[in-house]
Amino acid sequence: MTAAAIPSRRERAAARPVPWTRLTWVAWRQHRAALAGAAALLGAIGAYLAYTGWEIHRAYDAYTACVPASMRVQPLGGLVMGGPRACLPAARAFFSYYGSGQGSVLKSGLNAQTIPFLLLAVPVLLGAFVGGPVLARELESGTFRFAWTQGAGRVRQAAARLVPLAVVLTAAACGLSALFSWYIGSFVQAGVTGKYPMQLFGDMGTDFAAWTLFSFALTAFAGVLLRRTVPAMAASIVVLTALDVVTIMALRQHYAAPVVVTGDGPTGNTNLVLGNWFTTTSGVPVSQDTVLNAFARLPFGVTPSTAMLADHHWLQWWSYQPASRWWQFQLTEGGWLLAASLLLIAGTVLLIRRRPA
Amino acid sequence: MDVIEAVGLGKRYGRKWGLRDCTLSVPAGCVTGLVGPNGSGKTTLLSLAVGMIRPTAGTVRVAGETAGSLAARDLTAFVAQDAPLYQNLPVRDMLRVARNLNVRWDQDRAVSRLDGLGIPLKQRVGALSGGQKAQLALTIALARRPELLVLDEPLAALDPLARADFVKSVREAVAADQISAVFSTHVVAELEQVADYLIVLGRGTVLLSGTTAELTAAHGGQSPEQVILSALRENAEHAQGQAQGVAR
Repeated sequence: MTAAAIPSRRERAAARPVPWTRLTWVAWRQHRAALAGAAALLGAIGAYLAYTGWEIHRAYDAYTACVPASMRVQPLGGLVMGGPRACLPAARAFFSYYGSGQGSVLKSGLNAQTIPFLLLAVPVLLGAFVGGPVLARELESGTFRFAWTQGAGRVRQAAARLVPLAVVLTAAACGLSALFSWYIGSFVQAGVTGKYPMQLFGDMGTDFAAWTLFSFALTAFAGVLLRRTVPAMAASIVVLTALDVVTIMALRQHYAAPVVVTGDGPTGNTNLVLGNWFTTTSGVPVSQDTVLNAFARLPFGVTPSTAMLADHHWLQWWSYQPASRWWQFQLTEGGWLLAASLLLIAGTVLLIRRRPA
Repeated sequence: MDVIEAVGLGKRYGRKWGLRDCTLSVPAGCVTGLVGPNGSGKTTLLSLAVGMIRPTAGTVRVAGETAGSLAARDLTAFVAQDAPLYQNLPVRDMLRVARNLNVRWDQDRAVSRLDGLGIPLKQRVGALSGGQKAQLALTIALARRPELLVLDEPLAALDPLARADFVKSVREAVAADQISAVFSTHVVAELEQVADYLIVLGRGTVLLSGTTAELTAAHGGQSPEQVILSALRENAEHAQGQAQGVAR
């Protein structure tokens, strides 16, 4: 009774790997609820940005139609609403979307100045909530013992989940980020803000999508390491937030050696100014207090002019990242985040391969 | 021909060996019971056989293929303890998931089998009874048309009636498909009604193996149950003696 049961190895059709399309369907079936949640969140934010952005663009068109270009906001002096008196309502309407000016048309605290800060949380949360359960739920519920013993094998299954989800999330984040860039574009054009401040840098270009991808990859990795969904999400959010803060505070400004100049320094608010200091013409440092005491009668916040400094044989120095490097900075940060994400995804698959249970 | 061949097989978890120097053969074409107390290495052995974990030492082959390889995975269907399945899916989607995770799949067979068992396709897996869930897991395993069916403690969570039904299902499938089945259990009672062949594990090594008839004949007509119990008792006493020896 024993001999007949097993065909010899030659008789058997050679085993074939399960096609990726079928594994992707499984990934879709397992994660469609999470993806629907993500779509709902992004859709709601997107709808808000689209509608408000449209209003802002209309207000901006009315403002630019009324106020001649030469009389618009002078960035260095803050939000000065120049122009003919008749244009005041149009100017006020436009700037109120930025939460500035009297008689704001916005009732809530949500405006083009606060929204970018709130959006900074989206990549972290989105990546964590989609990435957390991808493999950890399988491990904590014990269903990995079902899944990993099917014909498809665990390595292919893990890859077939991680890669499509990563691509979809990143693409969605790119879309929202593009919408935000359009939404905020009028204020950038109007010279209200540059694009280096963290809340704009992080929501525009490739940064928003890169952080979303990184968050997803890190949380999926943490899920396999901790084998629990919720602790993995929590740990990942803490680590991501810390890393985000360190990047913003200490890392980002060093992506390129800063430009150091003396004299009037960079103009406008589009550059990332890292510091300014004083020296004598022979290069000996002069403290800021000494300089300010010498010009004690200057109003607060007004820096001494180059001519005034020249009388004392002093020079003012500036170190800054010029606006022209913005895309270079975006791609640098996007690049290392992408590399780190790919490593984490590969590490996650490797962990599943080495330590399935 | 043997459906599982282990040679010098060992698995270490940290410092502790879950299975050590295990050499055994599981004959093809019958239902084999892997018997032993908790912690004797049954689950470790089965996990190695289905490719869930890799051996620290030795080799294990399944139906002639290296355990865990693509070919071996294709030929081995595993029902883990408590039959883990996706609780939130309807039975229909659970089948579809399984179908998409395997090249070999017999959908008609799965559907007709569930129909015969009265398990509705639109029911959520989480809402099934323990017996139904075990049957669904078995249905999925059989729909894969395996040459080897591996079941880890399949009877532990079932009530007596469901247990009898389940055993009948496995025996029928093994006979109808001419496949082999291996199941682990720590319950010794009524084993001869379930298994044709028995392997007794104690502390990570094989204590006894043979058909139920062979075991009975070799031990002066004792029932398999008695034979197993005395082997396990002897093994436990031996362990105790060793431990005391070390202590002294």
